[in-house]
Amino acid sequence: MFAEFKHTLRRLRGQMTGWGIGLALYGLMMVSLFDSIVSIEGFEELIASYPPELLAFFGDMMAITTPKGYIDIYYFNYMTVIVGIFVVGASASLLLGDEEKGILDLVMAHPISRTALFLGRWLGFVAATAVILLVGWLSWFIPSGSSGMGLTWIEFLRPFLPLFAVLLLFGTLALLLSMLMPSARVAGMVTGGFLVADYLLMGLSNTNQDIKSIVKFTPLYYYQGGAAITELNWEWLAGLLAVSAVLALLAWWRFQRRDIRVGGEGGWRWPFFSSFRRV
Amino acid sequence: MLALWRVIREADPALTLVGEWQSPARRELGAVREVTMTESIALVAQKLTKSYGQVRALRGVDLKVRRGEIFGFLGPNGAGKTTTIRCLLDLIRPDGGTVRVLGIDPQADPVAVRARVGYLPGELNLESNLKVEGALRYFNDLRGNNTDWSFVRQLAERLELDLTMPIRNLSKGNKQKIGVVQALMPHPELLLLDEPTAGLDPLMQQEVYRLLREAQADGATVFFSSHIISEVEALAERVAIIREGVIVEEAEPSQLVSMAMRHLWVRFKKVVDPTPLAAVKGITLLSQSKDTGVHLQVEGEMDGLIKALAAFPVRDFEIERPSLEEIFLAYYKAGAKEEN
Repeated sequence: MFAEFKHTLRRLRGQMTGWGIGLALYGLMMVSLFDSIVSIEGFEELIASYPPELLAFFGDMMAITTPKGYIDIYYFNYMTVIVGIFVVGASASLLLGDEEKGILDLVMAHPISRTALFLGRWLGFVAATAVILLVGWLSWFIPSGSSGMGLTWIEFLRPFLPLFAVLLLFGTLALLLSMLMPSARVAGMVTGGFLVADYLLMGLSNTNQDIKSIVKFTPLYYYQGGAAITELNWEWLAGLLAVSAVLALLAWWRFQRRDIRVGGEGGWRWPFFSSFRRV
Repeated sequence: MLALWRVIREADPALTLVGEWQSPARRELGAVREVTMTESIALVAQKLTKSYGQVRALRGVDLKVRRGEIFGFLGPNGAGKTTTIRCLLDLIRPDGGTVRVLGIDPQADPVAVRARVGYLPGELNLESNLKVEGALRYFNDLRGNNTDWSFVRQLAERLELDLTMPIRNLSKGNKQKIGVVQALMPHPELLLLDEPTAGLDPLMQQEVYRLLREAQADGATVFFSSHIISEVEALAERVAIIREGVIVEEAEPSQLVSMAMRHLWVRFKKVVDPTPLAAVKGITLLSQSKDTGVHLQVEGEMDGLIKALAAFPVRDFEIERPSLEEIFLAYYKAGAKEEN
């Protein structure tokens, strides 16, 4: 399992570097801009002049001049979608990508169990996501001493935990769908579409009560974002992690039972029925 | 019936009726016999079936490969060669039948099977962003990092494989060499090779044959599929032909060749009447040239023809070796006749 974990991290190192540098530069820029933005005269009036629907979409826009509101609106509000691109793409092709390229056939002919292969790769992906977010956290925390944000390292860290949990959930969902759908591409598109739709619904639910009753059944409803700076909702965090664990368990179960293809994209199957047919 | 059973039992005390009580001593004798059988058989497949949707890839494959032999697995594209090999490694699950590899059920303990098997897939794909050595070290990691690296270097040298090259820059033949090295490097007890020399030049093919013979001399069993009859003849001690998911023949390569039709050109010292030759069983006179030559078609053993030719003043004699297609054709015709 460790060999696969190490190999997965090595394969993801390019993406980890790229995303890490991107997030670090963005974090540094936003910290350095904080003092200037909040000191703009009439900034709050300018925000208040925005259409109410737009203000509602992004949550409490009037709090933008506070460190908590600033980080929430300029970072955690849409980081689920931004880093979600990495998470969904990497996870959907974690196993199926190699299968489509015909690489998995030879890998699995070596003395490694399906469980060890699955866990090695999934944990590698989890570690890669954690490293990217760690860089993101450092990019806020380290330069914040020279700004007027006045938040501690733990306050900066807290909102990264639900971000990690919700990204893990979408990543694991992409992995599960890759076990059920014909190709990694389709699994990635479906999960990515669900993530974006959930993000839009969450924004719209601030103006529409009917939508609010729907979004309660979606993952982003339980994502705190910048609100976790002051108080972390441990129940929501545990819930997101628990759902991720269940999704991972289902993906593992499917992987145990599937035939490994020699290459190329597959077709639609009836996985749940065929799984009971194991010889 | 009981009397018959007693006679059989006297000949083989380990035999029992289903459900019959066995004394501990007899059970032990049976177990010893089973162990002996397992020790002498490298792989066995019985009534193996596998379908992909509506396509029945395997329709009851029965196969037995002895330990230490080089076994060729022949069949046209889509006959079920690759599917059979992949069932042996639990890469795909058969719909029915049983498989034992080195005495182990691959579905029950795939890791134990794979730890003792070296595999070369028919369509070899490798991570293109790795270097040759990086890919081999990754495979070594998966095997618990217990490969003798000097042996890997020796294999690479013999196959003229540059370990420092990025895989993306390699030709198909050079990638195939990586496949051969990774299969051989753990000194496996059993080699499952799906077209091992595909893409290699003739010199490298010969080197691979030498490597496989050396592996056999070290005690390994080699099971390989091929489309090349000369390769099968050069390497294999026994051969199985698979046709539409069923093994239609198990034989020695020379027997296979003798079953197929061959073409024979004979030049005589003077003009002769070839009628006695055409009268030999399995011989058809295809043409007679104006001078002293005849073109014959031979089906089955050559013995009768050779004896008949002894009575003729032969100047020259040329046999065209049958192609694999012609061998398949012979079996397909035989199979079709049986079905009719």
